[in-house]
Amino acid sequence: MADKPAAKISGSDSALIRELALLLDETSLTEIEIERAGLRVRVARNISIAASVASVSTAIGATASAPAVAASSAPGAAADLSEHPGAVPSPMVGTAYWAPEPGAKPFIEVGARVSVGQTLLIIEAMKTMNQIPSPRAGTVTQILIEDGQPVEFGEPLVIIE
Amino acid sequence: MFDKILIANRGEIALRILRACKELGINTVAVHSTADADAMHVRLADESVCIGPPPSKDSYLNVPALLAACEITGADAVHPGYGFLSENARFAEILAEHNLHFIGPKAEHIRLMGDKIEAKKTAKKLGIPVVPGSDGAVGPNDDAIAIAQSIGFPVLVKAAAGGGGRGMKVAQTQQDLMLALSTAANEAKSAFGDASVYLEKYLQKPRHIEIQVLGDGRGGAIHLGERDCSLQRRHQKVWEEGPSPALDAAARAKIGATVAKAMQQMKYLGVGTVEFLYEEGEFYFIEMNTRIQVEHPVTEMITGIDLVLEQIRIAAGGDLPLTQEEVVINGHAIECRVNAENPVTFRPSPGKILQYHPPGGLGVRIDSAVYQGYVIPPYYDSLVGKLIVQGKTRGECLMRLRRALDEMVVDGIETTLPLFRALVREPDIIDGDYHIHWLEQYLAGQPPA
Repeated sequence: MADKPAAKISGSDSALIRELALLLDETSLTEIEIERAGLRVRVARNISIAASVASVSTAIGATASAPAVAASSAPGAAADLSEHPGAVPSPMVGTAYWAPEPGAKPFIEVGARVSVGQTLLIIEAMKTMNQIPSPRAGTVTQILIEDGQPVEFGEPLVIIE
Repeated sequence: MFDKILIANRGEIALRILRACKELGINTVAVHSTADADAMHVRLADESVCIGPPPSKDSYLNVPALLAACEITGADAVHPGYGFLSENARFAEILAEHNLHFIGPKAEHIRLMGDKIEAKKTAKKLGIPVVPGSDGAVGPNDDAIAIAQSIGFPVLVKAAAGGGGRGMKVAQTQQDLMLALSTAANEAKSAFGDASVYLEKYLQKPRHIEIQVLGDGRGGAIHLGERDCSLQRRHQKVWEEGPSPALDAAARAKIGATVAKAMQQMKYLGVGTVEFLYEEGEFYFIEMNTRIQVEHPVTEMITGIDLVLEQIRIAAGGDLPLTQEEVVINGHAIECRVNAENPVTFRPSPGKILQYHPPGGLGVRIDSAVYQGYVIPPYYDSLVGKLIVQGKTRGECLMRLRRALDEMVVDGIETTLPLFRALVREPDIIDGDYHIHWLEQYLAGQPPA
């Protein structure tokens, strides 16, 4: 779950990422980011998925029906975080991308300041790239979707506070 | 065969399609609006995608959202159900342009039958009987009396540009005709700015009888008998049964053969229904529905054929499941559409179902997507479910229906169950002696004529 680095990953870089990932596990941290000459690596775990599984099973527990598997990877998280006052819901069904093209710099990252109307992501639907503008000014505190992830209508994409 | 079907509908029909897919081993994608996140078809589908907010135009009718949902789930076919996009030829074409299969007829046939004038012309050309009338407008130089006599009194004078009952006058006899013509023409002139009127045979107490067809798109087509849907309120079917109490085997075979032959000539693909008015032994074409219908279970119960499953098989290029000679009608079936409405005023009653107990036992079927604790949203139709009962004879079927209706519990909202409990005990219904105006007369407190 590392960011796509701008440069090609070398053998020593991948060793570094593996080391960071292990460190992440050991320390139970959710995110580690390091930057050094020409290279920035962010290693993060998506805790929202684990949370979502728990919330789905409790929601379904009350009924006899089988749990539905949503196309999105984290339907429960969507339900939880859609109530978040900083949530930016998806205005359409499609595939969300972090960057204008594969390998390009993502539009936003956690901690970035954004202004109203600034592009947060793009969502591809019917071969059309739709830029998703920020509804408010603030700081990006969470990016809830993976690059290339299918999203539903109303699914929270990012949290801006 | 398809690998994954996206069901572009909601409610009981979405669940009905899902059941057929599961029995065929096909993966399912449910789509839903935010109002339907807790719906049963969403829970039971292999995957689900929220496609928009509650209004249908932004969700279930939102073509770009449906295509995007196909794209992200990898569905290779779309089943439109009934209503929504099921009779939208353009939708069928757009799907084809995106290399997706539309589970329904060819777009050209949807378009043809969607145009009422073209549909009637086509029916006539294919040998299907239509309501006799004047060919086009009756002008001042035409001999209106001769035309009316050739049609046979009573005749209906209708505005060519008309609709909603305006500019319509009935002439019972030759003496009434001139007054009816001038009154209708004046009304048409003021209402539509066009005084042209035409004549059509006036049917007084017709029944609504429809023929179920199944075609392979290559010239093979069979009919699966009829359904009698004469019990209607405001053109909405309330109670449907098959076979019709008004037809015998010979009449059924005759109209069935006429319709099947027409479908063969058209090279019709999939399921369809040709609707008629029926009076004094004659059939008059009304329209053709190019989709699965709400009342399709009536036919399933008496033929043993799963219409939705066959519709999917045929859309994937399959052959007809049986020949005309192999179609056997077994006993009798009745369907009641139980709506979330006040049984007297028919005011919609959305809300939470606090108690739900569907009836059971031999020959009893419920097609419904509700469950105890389900909230019927106010945005869509008010159908709670369809109760379908089958029996060896019409008499057995009626007694079983009476028993099943008395067993069924839907509490927390108002439903039309009390209306059906009354209808199943009405002598005219028991005798099968009713027509398309019967229910409205009964509800108005008039003894139905």
